[in-house]
Amino acid sequence: MEKRVIKKDALAGIIKKMAENMVVYAPVRDEDNVLFTVLEEEMEPLLEFDNTKNAPKNFFFPQTEVMMRYMKTERGRELSTVEGEATPAVLFGVRPCDARSFVLLDNVFNDPKYKDPYYIDRREKTTIVSLACVQPPYTTCFCTSVDGHPFSAEGADVLLVDLGDTYLAEFVTPKGEELLKKMGDLPAADEALEAKKEKLSDAAGKAVNGVVPGRAIKSWMDENFEHPFWDTIHQSCLACGTCTYLCPTCHCFDITDEIKKEDGRRIRSWDSCMSWLFTMETSGHNPRPSQKQRWRQRAMHKFKYFVDNYDAIACVGCGRCVMYCPVNIDIRKIVTDISNL
Amino acid sequence: MQNPYIPIPVDVDKVITEVTTKDIKTFRLTFVNKEDEERFSYMPGQFAELSIFGKGESPIGIASSPTQPGYLEFTVQRAGVVTSELHSIEEGFRMGVRGPLGNTWPIDYLKGKNVVIVGGGFAFTTLRSLINYMIHEGNRADFGKITVVYGAREPGLLIYKDELAAWEKRDDIDMNVTVDKGDATWTGREGFVPAVCEQVAPGSENAVAVICGPPIMIRFTLPVFFNLGFSKDNIYTSLEMRMKCGIGKCGRCNVGSKYVCKDGPVFSLAELDKLTKEY
Repeated sequence: MEKRVIKKDALAGIIKKMAENMVVYAPVRDEDNVLFTVLEEEMEPLLEFDNTKNAPKNFFFPQTEVMMRYMKTERGRELSTVEGEATPAVLFGVRPCDARSFVLLDNVFNDPKYKDPYYIDRREKTTIVSLACVQPPYTTCFCTSVDGHPFSAEGADVLLVDLGDTYLAEFVTPKGEELLKKMGDLPAADEALEAKKEKLSDAAGKAVNGVVPGRAIKSWMDENFEHPFWDTIHQSCLACGTCTYLCPTCHCFDITDEIKKEDGRRIRSWDSCMSWLFTMETSGHNPRPSQKQRWRQRAMHKFKYFVDNYDAIACVGCGRCVMYCPVNIDIRKIVTDISNL
Repeated sequence: MQNPYIPIPVDVDKVITEVTTKDIKTFRLTFVNKEDEERFSYMPGQFAELSIFGKGESPIGIASSPTQPGYLEFTVQRAGVVTSELHSIEEGFRMGVRGPLGNTWPIDYLKGKNVVIVGGGFAFTTLRSLINYMIHEGNRADFGKITVVYGAREPGLLIYKDELAAWEKRDDIDMNVTVDKGDATWTGREGFVPAVCEQVAPGSENAVAVICGPPIMIRFTLPVFFNLGFSKDNIYTSLEMRMKCGIGKCGRCNVGSKYVCKDGPVFSLAELDKLTKEY
């Protein structure tokens, strides 16, 4: 693995230079929020920030996307074009928790039998530059409880670590090494810097505030689909879906058709298991008729079903659902409460 | 990379109104491109997404058998947006099919065994596929005795009537068609499916039961088969759920860790026992 050093004051310039020749998404301040934005001339990428408000999953799995278009013919409506050709891009400044979410989503969208060409095309053409969390940004962070780490390079092509006056840049994948060629001459990192990184990494891991038994609750879930505990979560839930839309790993979607005059398009949009409509059948039967079943589904999907299918928890511990739930439902508390049953 | 979301173009070749209430029709679809037909390799029990651009898609079991090349058949009840549109179209209409999707009836497991088929009402579509597959001249010798119990509320609601009559005439399939209540012209059997199963009393030795029907029918039919000595490993059924993608990604048709679209729709009762009761 190539390991290089980038001077602190040089990084923004390097990113801006890259953005002259290719599409670079970087965190940019937008009023009170930090959002990933296409870096245009005159724009400054944020290097000091906590995390973006939205998870970056939308770069591979957009909130809404056109899958195909069709047109009216003599015999009905027929396919005209298939959408989804991606532009090569760099996604700069992804936090390690969010970068891990891509690896989890790959299980779903790039499974051996059914490939999702829309997701896979964008994923393959995008290089991900992660920024390690030297100081875990929020009290709601709990990545270490769900197999992650503030310095994890999982899902990253390049991992940047802020060492104070310089960045240590690790070019983790072949795609990352390709990007190195576009970053100009960077001096190699020496062992002293690596030792410094290890020290910071240990401290950052210990500084993650939330510690919950993410793996341990599966055995309880295996046995307790029916349990009084499931009556204790959902009463305050408004079914707003904020947790699912902000979640880096939630991948459920709907497919709908839209027609304008004669022609139309088939689109895919994020959907949410928090909605009654999600599983509502035409007959009127609904296998998940109340918020209780829907909450059980959300918790079970993340901490049991996904583990059954892929041996991974479908949660990266970013804490967005905890921060933005309007009624303060806290997945960390749910996991902890289950572990105490 | 194959795009699994793009429907295969098909033409509606024939529309058959199956029932007197006119809300169940069978659609015979032919492939526009020969190579699509060759690629669409399916087995009884699988389903496909019927796709009408502008309206959407609906997952429907394949009612034809792979032993009937050249076309696909789907029997569809008028219910929602897509199926209502489907019921309004005419022969010659061009639409789409995505599939085949899901697993199949356990054909290899059924080989060398007696097979009992139990169907109720309109849930007879993939069972019809299975029957036609098993009684096909090239396959019949692979299976033991075939017993069919099929019932509907009234004679006008029986589907595939011509085929039922043709099967009645064969001596290699034991047909037991019943209606809850007959009418003036009905000369056949009367009685509910569970009661008829009790009378027919198929032996459980080296036998598998394949059961599809409304939940109430299944509820009362299962005890009959347990009493006859059928184990849960030897009773199969097929589940339905709201679906969109059909390929295990959109996230709505799971029962526990399994997706009905990709791990099902066919499950044995023994497999269902291991799943959560959320369907």
